[in-house]
Amino acid sequence: MKKLLLTVLIMVVFMGNLLAQVSPATPKAARVQITQGPELELAKEYLTIIRWTTNNPGGLPDHFGIVRYGTDPNNLSQTAKSPIRLNPSHPSTIFRVRIQGLKAATTYYYTVESQEANGTSDGVTSPVNKFTIP
Amino acid sequence: MNRRKLVGLCTVAVTVLLGLLISSQTMLISAQNTQNSGVDREEPPPRPYNPYPPGILPADLNSEIARVRREVRFIFNQALGEMRALPPLTVTGQPPTLQGTGYQAVQTLGKLLNFDENMSPFQNRACAFCHMPYAGFSGPIPSVNLTMIAYPGSFQFRAGKRTAQRYTYSPRYPVLELYPDQNLLFGGNFWDGRSTGYLLQSADAEQAQHPPVDTQEHALPDTACIAFRLESAVYKSFFEKIWGDILDIRFPGNTEDICETPGGAKVFGTDVTPIKLSPEDRAKANSVYDHWGQSISFFEDSPQVSPFTSKVDANINGLYTYTPDELAGAILFAGKGNCNSCHIDGQRTLLKPGQTDTGTYATNARPLFTCFGYSNLGLPLNPRDAFFYQTTPDFFGFTANPLGFGYRDLGLGTFLRSGFGSAPNPNETWTELAPRMDGRQQVSTVRNVAMTPPQCPTTEAPGPYFQKEFFHNGYIKSLKQLVHFYNTRDKFPFPVTSGHCPPGKTEKVDCWPMPEVPNNIDMTVGNLGLTDQEENQLVIIMQALNDGFNPSNPSVSTYPDINTFTGKCMTGGTAATQGNNTLIPTPPLPPCASAVCGVAPLPTKPIP
Ligand code: HEC
Ligand code: HEC
Repeated sequence: MKKLLLTVLIMVVFMGNLLAQVSPATPKAARVQITQGPELELAKEYLTIIRWTTNNPGGLPDHFGIVRYGTDPNNLSQTAKSPIRLNPSHPSTIFRVRIQGLKAATTYYYTVESQEANGTSDGVTSPVNKFTIP
Repeated sequence: MNRRKLVGLCTVAVTVLLGLLISSQTMLISAQNTQNSGVDREEPPPRPYNPYPPGILPADLNSEIARVRREVRFIFNQALGEMRALPPLTVTGQPPTLQGTGYQAVQTLGKLLNFDENMSPFQNRACAFCHMPYAGFSGPIPSVNLTMIAYPGSFQFRAGKRTAQRYTYSPRYPVLELYPDQNLLFGGNFWDGRSTGYLLQSADAEQAQHPPVDTQEHALPDTACIAFRLESAVYKSFFEKIWGDILDIRFPGNTEDICETPGGAKVFGTDVTPIKLSPEDRAKANSVYDHWGQSISFFEDSPQVSPFTSKVDANINGLYTYTPDELAGAILFAGKGNCNSCHIDGQRTLLKPGQTDTGTYATNARPLFTCFGYSNLGLPLNPRDAFFYQTTPDFFGFTANPLGFGYRDLGLGTFLRSGFGSAPNPNETWTELAPRMDGRQQVSTVRNVAMTPPQCPTTEAPGPYFQKEFFHNGYIKSLKQLVHFYNTRDKFPFPVTSGHCPPGKTEKVDCWPMPEVPNNIDMTVGNLGLTDQEENQLVIIMQALNDGFNPSNPSVSTYPDINTFTGKCMTGGTAATQGNNTLIPTPPLPPCASAVCGVAPLPTKPIP
């Protein structure tokens, strides 16, 4: 019952936002899953981009894709974070994260996750992956 | 001949003589007036300010300024005609209301104010100088759009730092507000949101209070100069009748001298109210200034500027069927192009997997094609921006940009810090958000981005086309380039500044220089995988967002005053490389100045 009320409340907020034409918040997906990737979109010293796709997580319109990375798979000490805007009418969402200033001929290990602009996690992380900057 | 008649004749002769004397005198005085505009009338005329290396100011700048000023005066006279054609204004009821004529009267007043050149020290700049109807109320000078990107203000050639924003639908942006659970700011006017609207409860009405006292725009030194100039305006009593203000402020004798001296002049020091008024008179002048802003905003919101008459509106209302390319464009806009994540198009149905978009507008009859938010798209620094060169004092001792190329445009981030080149932030609780807002600029509406005068029917080469400039720093010169940027920013990134793409690469085609502000770059866009044809279809749907479409006579625009352009179209070349022949190499950049990047709260990562 509580859950139903909450859903109704969210829907009402959503409709209100619709009229104001501010980016709407949408009901959060029950479960977020990575459906593609994570994979390397671009690998250069100057700029590396990691990309993955999930079902639309819903929630706040601004989301962050987050990559935790490092040269030691047991110590992913660095974090890169990029904002994206959810498209409420899309069934899936592509996250892309920029990483700058990596070293050539070096292998990096990483995991990805995503969260809403206020820091609430979407509750999905990837296993540790790796890539090498040529 | 009797005596009386003689006296009469003599009187006539004397009167004629006197008249001659007086008129030559006034001619002398007025010649002096236009020459001596400093506070001290004995001074020689102010030298124009020209700190620019050769090639930064376009060669035809003076004749283009003269052209736009003629067009502005033409529309001003038209507005005077509209005023005179109005039925008498009668105020009735409680609260008192201009029954019947109120809407039309305030719109016409707003139009007069918008097109009145007297509202500047040298009586040469109206708002409209930088915002003409045929350009969708953005910048009207093709050569400026191609080169210096910022428009010259009343004291020539001071200039601002950003492109003159289209202001169709700008009154629809709400007062800047924080959605606390979202950690995001929505609303406000200007690229950097610095017109919040908190006092007037309208971002757009407040917006109109900025340019009159912006040192690089109208450059009046005191907001009371507006009331002062209104006292001698032909439409003075019209203003008084509408607002109930009485324009009888007791201005001191030196007021004209003050209002003829541009803001920022050394003589004023830090005084922002150099006109010394009694508290009662200052209150009157302030009230007039509020009503100035509100009248202008009402004009901008009216069907004269923001009429919702595009093909897209006609389609929403069932009066027009898209061509196959327009339909494809509309679907890409909401789908693969993902444009409507930020430029909300009113299609809010949540598609299920496998369901396809049909390009129909489900929920909103008047979508504004913005979310009122702010994003950093990662544009490269544009070394042609006139702002970078204004590093030395002008005739009045004013220096617009002592930081030179150490300036970086952090947009909303700098405003939240009340920083250099922006405005005081009236809400200190938002300041802590600045690091997340660095580099973010207003998500502008897409409506009327493609608007041009009818004789140059497109923004795109080979034309005949009307050269516009796009995004806050005018780096992009055609809509094809704009879409290609969204599509390939992250596909062809190079660690170079503009003008330095490697040999064999073409800037804006297969080479995008690095972003000016690397922080908070939005990753919704940058590698969309659109084909060349899909890019073109997005341009086509944007063109369908021009107001003035009449389904029963599609070839003639109904947009008010769209026929006032008297300049020349351009031809030749391709949209993909439009304007590339004006690219200049960015000089070696000094690090971001501490006056911009060293202000607390510091950027999340240092900005180079
Ligand atoms: C010298 C050129 C110039 C003049 C004169 C000028 N503007 Fe502007 N206008 C600009 C520029 C440049 C911007 C963007 C500035 C920024 O964001 O920092 C702008 C922005 C705006 C916007 C913001 C639109 C939005 O969607 O947020 C409005 C509205 C506007 N101007 C109206 C006016 C009015 C009204 C006047 C006269 C009172 C005026 N302008 C005078 C150059 C000018
Ligand atoms: C992440 C949000 C976002 C997305 C997605 C987005 N835009 Fe924009 N758009 C912006 C912002 C922010 C600006 C102003 C940026 C600036 O000047 O720095 C803008 C400006 C524009 C302008 C106006 C430029 C001007 O000079 O007035 C047009 C046209 C435009 N976008 C079209 C598009 C199209 C087409 C797409 C899809 C391919 C798109 N946008 C996707 C945020 C977005």
